[in-house]
Amino acid sequence: MSYSKILQYALDKPKTIYLALLLLVIATLSLFPLLQIDTDPENMLSREAPARVFHNQTKSKFTMHDMVVIGAVSNESVFTQARLSDINKVSNFVLSLDGVIKQDLLALNVVDNIKQERNEQDENLGIRFEYLMKQSPHSEEEAKAVKHAVKRLPMLDNTLVSGDDKAVAIYVPIKSKDLSYSIAEQVREFTNNLDSTLQFYITGLPVAEDQFGYEMFVQMGVAAPLAGVAIFLLLWYFFRNFPLIFAPMIVAMATVVITMGSLIGMGFTVHIMSSMIAIFLMPIAVVDSVHILSEFSEHYKKGDDVKATLKKVMSHLYTPMLYTSVTSAVGFYSLMLTPIPPVKVFGAFIGSGILLAFVLTIIFIPAYVSRLSEQTLERLHLAVSRLERKSALSKTLLVLGGFAQNKAKLILMSFIAVFVFSIEGINRIEINDNPTNWFKTDHEIRVADKTLNAHFAGTYDAWLVLDTSLNKEEINATQLTELLAPLVTASVVNKNLAQELTLASKGKQLFSEQLLVQLDDLSFDADEKYQTQISKIIALVDYELTKQKTFMQPDMLNWIAKLQSELINTGLVGKVNSLADIVRTVNRELFSGNEEDFVIPASASGVAQTLLQYQSSHRPKDLWHFVTKDYTSSLLWLQMTSGDNQHTTQVVQWVENYVAANPAPIDINVNWAGKSYLNIVWQDAMVSGMLDSLLSSFAIVFLMMVLLFRSVKYGVLAMLPLTFTITMIYGLIGWLGKSYDMPIAVLSALTLGLSIDFAIHFLQRTRELEIKLGSLLIALQAMFNEPSRAISRNAIVIAIGFTPLLLSPLVPYVTVGAFLASIMAISALVTLILLPACLTLLNGNSLRRKL
Amino acid sequence: MNSFISKLALVYCLSQMSFGYAEESLTAQQIINKSNLASYYAGNDGRAQARMVIVDGKGQKQIRQFTILRKDIEDLGDQQMMVFFSRPTDVKGTVFRVNKKINSDDERWLYLPALDLVKRISAGDKRTSFVGSNFYYEDVSGRNPQEDNLTLLTSNEDNKHYLLKGQPKSPESVEFSYYQAKIDKKTFMPVNVVYFDQTGSKLREMKVLKMKNVQGHPTVVHSRIHQFSDNSYTDLQFRGVAYDVGLPSTVFTERSLRTVPKKWLK
Repeated sequence: MSYSKILQYALDKPKTIYLALLLLVIATLSLFPLLQIDTDPENMLSREAPARVFHNQTKSKFTMHDMVVIGAVSNESVFTQARLSDINKVSNFVLSLDGVIKQDLLALNVVDNIKQERNEQDENLGIRFEYLMKQSPHSEEEAKAVKHAVKRLPMLDNTLVSGDDKAVAIYVPIKSKDLSYSIAEQVREFTNNLDSTLQFYITGLPVAEDQFGYEMFVQMGVAAPLAGVAIFLLLWYFFRNFPLIFAPMIVAMATVVITMGSLIGMGFTVHIMSSMIAIFLMPIAVVDSVHILSEFSEHYKKGDDVKATLKKVMSHLYTPMLYTSVTSAVGFYSLMLTPIPPVKVFGAFIGSGILLAFVLTIIFIPAYVSRLSEQTLERLHLAVSRLERKSALSKTLLVLGGFAQNKAKLILMSFIAVFVFSIEGINRIEINDNPTNWFKTDHEIRVADKTLNAHFAGTYDAWLVLDTSLNKEEINATQLTELLAPLVTASVVNKNLAQELTLASKGKQLFSEQLLVQLDDLSFDADEKYQTQISKIIALVDYELTKQKTFMQPDMLNWIAKLQSELINTGLVGKVNSLADIVRTVNRELFSGNEEDFVIPASASGVAQTLLQYQSSHRPKDLWHFVTKDYTSSLLWLQMTSGDNQHTTQVVQWVENYVAANPAPIDINVNWAGKSYLNIVWQDAMVSGMLDSLLSSFAIVFLMMVLLFRSVKYGVLAMLPLTFTITMIYGLIGWLGKSYDMPIAVLSALTLGLSIDFAIHFLQRTRELEIKLGSLLIALQAMFNEPSRAISRNAIVIAIGFTPLLLSPLVPYVTVGAFLASIMAISALVTLILLPACLTLLNGNSLRRKL
Repeated sequence: MNSFISKLALVYCLSQMSFGYAEESLTAQQIINKSNLASYYAGNDGRAQARMVIVDGKGQKQIRQFTILRKDIEDLGDQQMMVFFSRPTDVKGTVFRVNKKINSDDERWLYLPALDLVKRISAGDKRTSFVGSNFYYEDVSGRNPQEDNLTLLTSNEDNKHYLLKGQPKSPESVEFSYYQAKIDKKTFMPVNVVYFDQTGSKLREMKVLKMKNVQGHPTVVHSRIHQFSDNSYTDLQFRGVAYDVGLPSTVFTERSLRTVPKKWLK
């Protein structure tokens, strides 16, 4: 069905159109309650992304949890009776909260101390495992003793208590990330009511994320309506006619509701990116309507047939509107080429939203206008003519036009210079992101982050995971098979167990204690005549099991200890906690308690026996955060003072180089997990993904331009303003030293999609005028009257539409708002200066050639 | 009452002989004494091979195997104990030596063969993990009944068991707020003990899974302690249980730490 038929239908049956739109809006609006917020940066990677899969495996393998960090800071030492007692109160309060994994809480009153007990005659009474501070100290001496004890425990020093003794931390593992905001709020309320000389701070990535989600929700509720109001006021300024400007507002609102409703209804979560969909669509959706209304008021004269005028206007605007909408949509759709799910969703829904806005505009607006009263239409005409009168905008544009044509060469040269300068800026771009920096510097999350990281070794975690390479060679496989065969035949050993044993012996999987338990049970139940064979198998499995315990080998632990101290020496890492610390600490206390015994025992059995003692504490399971139960994998917990990607990248590279130069004594695989690491993985994916997306949408848009103008020359010209704008914006980001983060990355696609509109309108109108007036130069002069004003007006509408983002307390929104407003301004300006200058030069050349 | 939990369980014939008592006439303290006797003082001495399977919340297993030797100085009084580890293989030869004292702190020593180290373990908290399992040291050696205030709960529905509630006299020394022990009226063996926190939620639970009569003593040969916080548990199984084996005092000395008295282990 051609558009003219659709238009005819809309003009004939406006009420049907209204009803259909209303039903669609109600249907999609009813899906809103299903809304699910997602602020987890982990979701920047798809669920199947190897890095994410490994991260989650690591979390489960080493029972690592998401943690909220509470810091208590004082101006003086925290080791006083009063302050430690306050900290105890907070810790006990935290333990009473739902959603806290109590057995893994890290706080002074639940962790263990291991020490040498001496009597008054300084005789050694032996090794002692006890709670570090189960009760608040009863005296100042006891408080000092706690300090002394902590300093001797490398696992706690500078993790639970800061190196300067002025801060204490409580690490609160939580069952689910989305509980962190409510837990943090409850703790805040508790500490606010606590009469204490301590200052309390709360940080940790889960809190930042959850808080971000909360504020994002508020943000959406505030910024999107504000954008609506801003656009409404602006439209009123242009048209001074409420009934009329309701039309674009209805289109905008309907577009937003239908798009968001579908997104929610289709089960997508609202992520930081998709939360901006409303605010993006609103101004874009209004733009086409502005074109129709402007054009209509220009052609409509009192007494004209409204429907006939509308048909004329629509036939005239249909193609450029279609093209601008499709190109904008392509710009956003190209985001689907990035490997980042939230960005894909964002691109897909804005792209579709733009097309929806186009469809709504070309159907609803004519239907609506056709039903307006005579007086309303009359007033519209007056308002537009008022706008046409000499305003500051029109004067400026005329000056600009003259300048563009007269100084064409100068302009072109300046643009080339700025372009070169921008390229250099792009080379200086620093790719960096840190979810904590999504909050403004004065936000309590940022303040807490800064304060706690100034005192402690760092609240940002990265986990270095060392895995034993699966031994490919066969281990006594023949011997085992021989032993097993008769037992399987006699059904003494079941097939499953036999298969597990065979696989392990062939180096296809690791031996497990589980196997030993089963064999042991077997020997208990089996007939006497099989006992010798079973015990041989047990001995064999036991031998292999012991042998495969890589992280009990002294060489390995010494290698880890060295890696750890070298890592600290780089200054990149605040602290590293590892199995080597546990072993060395227990070893020290088993012997003299002095520094010279802070070493790894000489044999694997020595390590095993040391660890058996460690497990005779109140928290034996703490060991399993650092090594798996079969001792084939180990985890190093790196604490860093910043969550910046660049920082993490440096650490990762350093480790890579170090391990290459100093290979581990046993063949191991080195991998990373932890949120800080995941951030760099998706950032890398984003940078390359964005480049793909930008290049492909650039190519598609270029082809569309060639098709639209049926001219390669005009196709190239159409691409010039946006090429320049994008280069300049990113050049600026590079020169300003602003980190290239996710919102910035997404801007490229937006710029492409939006700034091409100006070029399309400019070139299309110029060509029409050229044909009408018979000369390009005269046409260009005419361009700086009404057509340029329309372009400028649209640029202003979009730019103003984004400004409510500037009021947001969340940095990504502010960034996007500020950059989009400037992108609109720059690309409109570039279009209005660069295109006439180029056209003038090209025209001059062709003129000269003709002469 | 972890004491009950203990698997050393060597039951004394006293329980059988005490049939004549009218059940109702027993006080909570009397019941706990009988129970303690049945659980920890069966025979004059005892020997058992123990296997612990520690199962974490994800179902991963670890084992500890050891032989326990016990000799009573006096019923319901002091005892001597030795624990010889045989598995995991890398801790083989590790020995615990305990002189359990009723009226003072226990004396504990440790021998680590790979470090060739004998170390005294300072008398301290007895509610620390026993070699990484869900059993506490006190579950193995027996909790002193004097440490709790006991009440006999009348709300007991089945008449085969006593239900006792124990509240620690010094609550700061333990992790629980109170416990409830279900004690068999006939054998006086505790068959189930549940530990609760301040809010009344379960912290841990000891369950007897299998009993066996050894030389006339009802003996727990399989029990389990379940930890509710992370859904982990430890099974403790006994084999080769024997009472009145005639263990000489010389076995319970420092000498045995380095030189294992193999003769008495099996």
